[in-house]
Amino acid sequence: MSLTSLNFIRHRRLTIEVRQRISLYLHASILFSALVFGIGICIAILVGRGVELSSIYEEFIVFTFLDSAGISSVIVESIPLVLVGLAAAVAFRVNFWNIGIEGQMFMGAIGASVVALFNIGPEILRLPIMFIFACMFGIFWAFGPAILKVRLNVNEVISTLLLNYIAYYFVLNQLFGPWKDPRDKFPHGEQYDLTERLPAIGWEQVHYGIAVAAFAFVVVWWMVERSRFGVNSRFVGVNSKMALAVGLPVSTIIAGSAMASGSLAGTAGFVIAAATEYRLTFTMAAGYGFSGIVIAFLAGNKPISTVIVAFLMGSLFVAGESMKVFYSLPDALVGLIQAIIVLSITASEFFVRYRLRLASFRDT
Amino acid sequence: MSTAIEFEGVHKSFGQNAALVDAFFSAKWGEVHALLGENGAGKSTLMNIACGLYAPDKGTVKIDGETVIIDGPQSASGLGVGMIHQHFKLVENMTVLENIVLAHGTGSWRKSLQTVREQILNISDEIGFNIDPDALVNTLSVSEQQRTEIIKVLIGGAKILILDEPTAVLTDEESSGLLNQLQRFAKQGKCIILITHKLREVFSHATRVTVMRGGKTVDTGKAPIDLTPKQLSQLMVGEAPEITHITHSPPGEIVLELSKVAAKRDNGLPALDNFDLKLCAGQVFGLAGVGGNGQTELAEILMGVRSMNSGEFHLNGKKLAKPSTKQLRGLGITCVPAERYVYGLAGDLSVMENCVITHLKSGQFGNFSWTNKRAIYKATRQAISKNEIHGAEPRTRARLLSGGNAQKLVLARELSGNAKFLLAHSPTRGLDVRACTAVHEALRESAQKGTAVLLLSEDLDEIFAISDRIGVINNGKIVGVFDAPADRREIGHLMVSNN
Repeated sequence: MSLTSLNFIRHRRLTIEVRQRISLYLHASILFSALVFGIGICIAILVGRGVELSSIYEEFIVFTFLDSAGISSVIVESIPLVLVGLAAAVAFRVNFWNIGIEGQMFMGAIGASVVALFNIGPEILRLPIMFIFACMFGIFWAFGPAILKVRLNVNEVISTLLLNYIAYYFVLNQLFGPWKDPRDKFPHGEQYDLTERLPAIGWEQVHYGIAVAAFAFVVVWWMVERSRFGVNSRFVGVNSKMALAVGLPVSTIIAGSAMASGSLAGTAGFVIAAATEYRLTFTMAAGYGFSGIVIAFLAGNKPISTVIVAFLMGSLFVAGESMKVFYSLPDALVGLIQAIIVLSITASEFFVRYRLRLASFRDT
Repeated sequence: MSTAIEFEGVHKSFGQNAALVDAFFSAKWGEVHALLGENGAGKSTLMNIACGLYAPDKGTVKIDGETVIIDGPQSASGLGVGMIHQHFKLVENMTVLENIVLAHGTGSWRKSLQTVREQILNISDEIGFNIDPDALVNTLSVSEQQRTEIIKVLIGGAKILILDEPTAVLTDEESSGLLNQLQRFAKQGKCIILITHKLREVFSHATRVTVMRGGKTVDTGKAPIDLTPKQLSQLMVGEAPEITHITHSPPGEIVLELSKVAAKRDNGLPALDNFDLKLCAGQVFGLAGVGGNGQTELAEILMGVRSMNSGEFHLNGKKLAKPSTKQLRGLGITCVPAERYVYGLAGDLSVMENCVITHLKSGQFGNFSWTNKRAIYKATRQAISKNEIHGAEPRTRARLLSGGNAQKLVLARELSGNAKFLLAHSPTRGLDVRACTAVHEALRESAQKGTAVLLLSEDLDEIFAISDRIGVINNGKIVGVFDAPADRREIGHLMVSNN
């Protein structure tokens, strides 16, 4: 009896096979199962911390998605996440590992603040000018690493990372020095005038940053999915040697993508400064760089998925925030929840690529 | 002679593709058994089951008459089965010794190093392989790496040796050396299974032959002497491949001229030195030579991915000071590179993207702001059916194509424009007879249309089959140029002689 069952085991084994292709339906259900799995672990942890199941449901579902205030704050939270997610995705598509998104955000916010402080341009055009300056400053900050990479093969991970610190300390220098708020002498910039703020659209606190993010999304979608640049950049990302051999302008494509990434990060800086903070602060970019990387990674560098993932990430932030306030959970637990969900989705990639199969050795 | 290994009713499918359908095979102790078949016939799949890389969906494997379960490379090795794969399974930046200990060490690493070192030296001595156990694998030549693999499976105690197209990467001389060695192993009582698609090897060295086609065994156990080459190739491909009788075309105007070109290898040693080459429109120029005599560097210069140190480069009568890829492509250079998935295709992108990437600039698939995916899809469909690229849908990933079909895809792309010059570097490496013929026909056809074709190949049969002019490269120089038909022995001599 036991022998036969043992034989059964010995004659079968789990094999791992590469999937040739995967249907959209199966892909979606694998992702969904991973999400459920991750959420399950998170629920177990929260229950272990003494939070009741019903209140988890209320916080994560009812007050986050089914409530006007909740969903609007998710949207507000998601706007800069979409922008940094797109910034990372655009660069990662061509294997330009832009770790300097936070620095480029600071530069964007500096650009916008320069326009606001020195009242450049007529008031009616003040916001568009701030936007353009933010883009240009972001591009400027990505330009150096891009040129260093394509001309001298300098590793962009190091150069963009170090430029983060330069931008950060430059902001600190300005805020403790010449750009200190003249009114309260605090180390943050002078508040923007009303004409220099992105107005609310009239639903809860949602502001016109949503239009900026939507515009950025459309441009990026067109650029990577429909333009010739997008097709070429896919080849650069997958096989740059081949791209070179068939005569694609590889250096231009890498540098162009890096600068597009910088301009998107700069735009994120502009949106935070002009719609949330109303000034330049030295905490405004904290953590966004890495959130952008995670979002782009989970979204497979695709623009549409980036928006979806950014939205989910935003809701996680919002729900986590209220967990923190109402259940006095530590900050780290919110981070833990995010990490668990990110890890389960990452791990599910295995099941997307491979198929597990029970194979027998004998004709039965 | 008793049966060493036997397969019965083996099925294996990958997704919806059935790789093996009711395949059977048996080989005896003391013989060299050739396993013959086209690409995708299932030879490698069957043997990968024997060495524990794949599990069969159905069917039995018997060794010495007993049914065995091979559930991994370790268990295969324990049963005395050793396989030398087409792509060597060696860690490049480790030494020969470390690689072998990694595979077959027992107990402590340090002790294994000692015992395995002795084993390597003993076996090397015994079979006349001159392998330094402390050499780093990436400093070894291809044939030395192959010898390392052979020593590795011998140390693992292999009595059944499976070699997957071992001569594909070797020169003529190295090949016959290896095959003779395999025959000696067989005389010692081992069972040698030789996966190949070279008929000549079957006739010269195999005791018996099994032919597979489309995942099925079509004939097994005959001695090659009982068959004619025509019969055998008929079994392999289902029909006899046409032997192409080419009509040589007269030279047109000079398309490409290199004079006194010098270039260096990656390691700084000279690759090309005082290299002269003239290519005429409408002709296939076959450049014969043993691999590593500067062909790769020449190909890279012509593709524009390596720069010359000195010399002159004329294309269409125009002197190019520093030819870039973009410039060369613009002037009508196309190429079929040796490493398909390095310079030829982006494996993770779709067939349709790979099929049109060089034509996007022409504007036939939309302008810079909007690529017309429907037009691309349609053009790819046409290219697939016109070039008989099997197993390809416009949206399949290029990596999933078999060798021959991947090469057809590269050819389809490179030949679809108006090429002035076509570089084909080992275009049929690893392809089966039918795919070879298709590639050769495509090259001849493009020459007839007026393209200057440069064929770099280590396979003399191929050079003789389709060239109008034949040159020999040796040590970075052209050492002889002949009009076809040329004397094969003289060319062979120029290829290997020192100068």
